[in-house]
Amino acid sequence: MSAQLAAALAAEEAAIYAYGVLGVKLTGEGDRTEARAAEAVHRGRRDVLVSRLSALKASTAPAPAGYELPFDVTDRASALKLAIQVEDGVAQAWRAVLPATTGADRATGLNALVDAAVRATRWRRLGEVTPATMAWPGRA
Amino acid sequence: MVLTDRVKRRHLIGVTAGGALSATALGGCGLFSDDPEPAPAPDALQPVLDEALALAAAYDRAVLAEPGLAKRLTPLAADHRTHAAELSRVIGRAAPSGAPASSAPSGAAADSVAALRKAEQAAQKTAAAACRTAPADRAGLTGSIAAARAAHAEALR
Repeated sequence: MSAQLAAALAAEEAAIYAYGVLGVKLTGEGDRTEARAAEAVHRGRRDVLVSRLSALKASTAPAPAGYELPFDVTDRASALKLAIQVEDGVAQAWRAVLPATTGADRATGLNALVDAAVRATRWRRLGEVTPATMAWPGRA
Repeated sequence: MVLTDRVKRRHLIGVTAGGALSATALGGCGLFSDDPEPAPAPDALQPVLDEALALAAAYDRAVLAEPGLAKRLTPLAADHRTHAAELSRVIGRAAPSGAPASSAPSGAAADSVAALRKAEQAAQKTAAAACRTAPADRAGLTGSIAAARAAHAEALR
């Protein structure tokens, strides 16, 4: 279970970094409000994971200072594209937590998977990407 | 040939009249009288499957009633059919035919987009509940279905 939770932590750290980069390229107030809310949610999940992993006495690698982005974020379109990729990645990390956990940990993972899938769809809608949904959120 | 056909037909009628090959009917043959087999308990995923099929059909009806919604709703119906096929496989029963509503007329009236959204939210709760109690090998499947249903509700906002 610790390995999957550590992977989810890495995905959340990456998401926090990505929102910092992409947030400034968003243009509308609606976009920016959404990005701030998303970043806050990812920070909250990171904190929950850090304390859970600490309770499990699992060691975690420190978050890298920076990340190599999959493409340059230069405008609103590339910012939205990155936001979609980030949420899809977070969904994949949390989905892997589900079979490795039960009870409260499973519920935490499920909530995070659902939230990431909803955010990915919201970004697709804002970016007018179709289809806005996928059959298997989190399945790589 | 005529005889064969008649026998076949009678056989078919017999099955229909007997209903769902119940344990009682089989018991009448004396084969199982010593050990009456109870009907198998429904699979925990059955409600999730039922909702996937009902939602797919509801989207079909909505598109038939308002073809302008096709671009928006057809991908959602397709997601539910994909879920239904996988759920049927996991449950281990034959997949029901996912025929679109156009070929299987139904008396139900088409739902509005708002009603479809409500149905997705209710179905998401079913899938999430199934996920929380699922064995490990079904946790990802039910979790993704819950997430897809929540995302559908978001897409219909």
